[in-house]
Amino acid sequence: MKKYLAIIKATWQRALTYRISVISYRIGEMFEVFFLILLWSAIYSTQDVLKGYNLREMLTYILFGALITVVVRNWMYEVVSKDIKDGTLSQFLVKPISYLRYMLFREIGRISLAFILSVSTQLFMILIFSDRFIFNTSYLYLLEILVMVGLAFITEMFLSYLIGMVAFWTDEVDGIFTTLDRLKRFFAGGYFPINLLPAIYIKISFILPFGYSFFVPAQLYLKKMDLATGLKGILVQIVWIILLYLIIKLVWRRGLKRYEGVGI
Amino acid sequence: MASFKALFRREKSYAHAVSEINFSIGEGELVGFLGPNGAGKTTTLKMLSGILYPTEGEARVLGHIPWKREPAYQKQFALVMGQKNQLWLDLPALESFILNKEIYGISDGEYKENLDELIELMDIKDILEVPVRKLSLGQRMKCELIAALLHKPRVLFLDEPTIGLDVMAQKNIRDFIKKYNREKKTTIIITSHYMEDIKELCERVIIIDHSKIIYDGKLAELINRYAGYKQLAITFNEQGVKREQVEPYGKIMEYSQYRIIFEVERSRAKDLASAILGSSLPVDDIFIDEIDISEVVRRIFNSNN
Repeated sequence: MKKYLAIIKATWQRALTYRISVISYRIGEMFEVFFLILLWSAIYSTQDVLKGYNLREMLTYILFGALITVVVRNWMYEVVSKDIKDGTLSQFLVKPISYLRYMLFREIGRISLAFILSVSTQLFMILIFSDRFIFNTSYLYLLEILVMVGLAFITEMFLSYLIGMVAFWTDEVDGIFTTLDRLKRFFAGGYFPINLLPAIYIKISFILPFGYSFFVPAQLYLKKMDLATGLKGILVQIVWIILLYLIIKLVWRRGLKRYEGVGI
Repeated sequence: MASFKALFRREKSYAHAVSEINFSIGEGELVGFLGPNGAGKTTTLKMLSGILYPTEGEARVLGHIPWKREPAYQKQFALVMGQKNQLWLDLPALESFILNKEIYGISDGEYKENLDELIELMDIKDILEVPVRKLSLGQRMKCELIAALLHKPRVLFLDEPTIGLDVMAQKNIRDFIKKYNREKKTTIIITSHYMEDIKELCERVIIIDHSKIIYDGKLAELINRYAGYKQLAITFNEQGVKREQVEPYGKIMEYSQYRIIFEVERSRAKDLASAILGSSLPVDDIFIDEIDISEVVRRIFNSNN
């Protein structure tokens, strides 16, 4: 366990040496949320309700969703694909440590600093728009959301790791990631709540793992979804995590064979 | 058309990186791998450290099959690649050391003892707190070596540890490797393009070319076997000489107006020297030397092709 704490510590330290980067990213995030708020405020200037959302709910959806996004997202795929491409992976293969675990803890270390800063900035945004933000204080809902976000964090890491491993076969991972990221964001309700679309989209989003990184927890927060449905969602997440883990194991084994064979 | 086709199906080609490589190395030995680029030196090291999985053949290091990647084996060896780094570039080397301490499960006491000793040997106390990316290449390599030696490996694989370093830094690294091998009795296999490294460090060399071993034995013997010749370097004064004037004396390796290098059989070296001194050529200086080892190796490769 100590070795994993050391990884987290090293990652923290690294982030501290790049404080300007870490902080400037946060400013960009604030802008993004701000633009969305502008857009929806403009749309709601001519109507009060849109597909069951009033302006306050829509703004809460955006602000709360942005908060979750900054918690669950990661850029692990970049590190994994780079390590594979330039052969850094070899350094891990010769050491008594699992690369997957190394990466997961590295990510936890990285996210923890970004987390504190991002959460602070997003909370700051909520504070600015607090007169238009709906506060949900139901413990049960918040607890379920917490579990869901925790699982979404793991799901996102596994997905990213999988995409990174594509580098075993091709050098060009960025395109795949970007495409998948857009699809993910759509089904996650990151562009707009999926309930604005026909019901089938919600069903798809509920089965796919992506919605749990934005849409579903935001729905729960707005109490547009009941606790029982949320619980079903958590089960779907668990199934996905197990599935992704198995796929990772499989892809890793096959990828490594290739890595071993070609010596990239 | 070919490149258009490549959009859909890329042709694959396979080649044996190593095929006929058989050797065994005793404990505490310091062995050099020599060979041109692409000969299979690095591939062999990668196999021995378990990164590559061979399609055929076997290997055992310390009784372990490397590509099984057993932690019991991994804790007993280290691999340092001159062109790859294991240190975190953004952090001081000390942080990477601590990470390795935890990865290899080194106890606090042992870690401190090893680290102090290595820092002393390498003389790098003052750069431990500097982010690695700000270090010079030589300093970085020193830190890479320390990171690799913290767990006191019994076997150390060094792949081009002095690549890109200046002459002084190369010498420092070389001296360290030599001393470490002598004091710790660590078995070391080193590959290098620099003949100086091999000459200084290795009693035994294994020469690999076209994925085969073409020589395995003492370096001194290699020189004797292939170098029945000496070289005679003659410097002339400002008058200089014409090629026709010196051609009759022997085989010219290098010619310029003021300096000539002859290659001559060992037994004839003295005779040639005195013949030239006795002639009317405007000789300024004569120097008899062994044929350079890189020249020897180059010849082996040429005769092998």
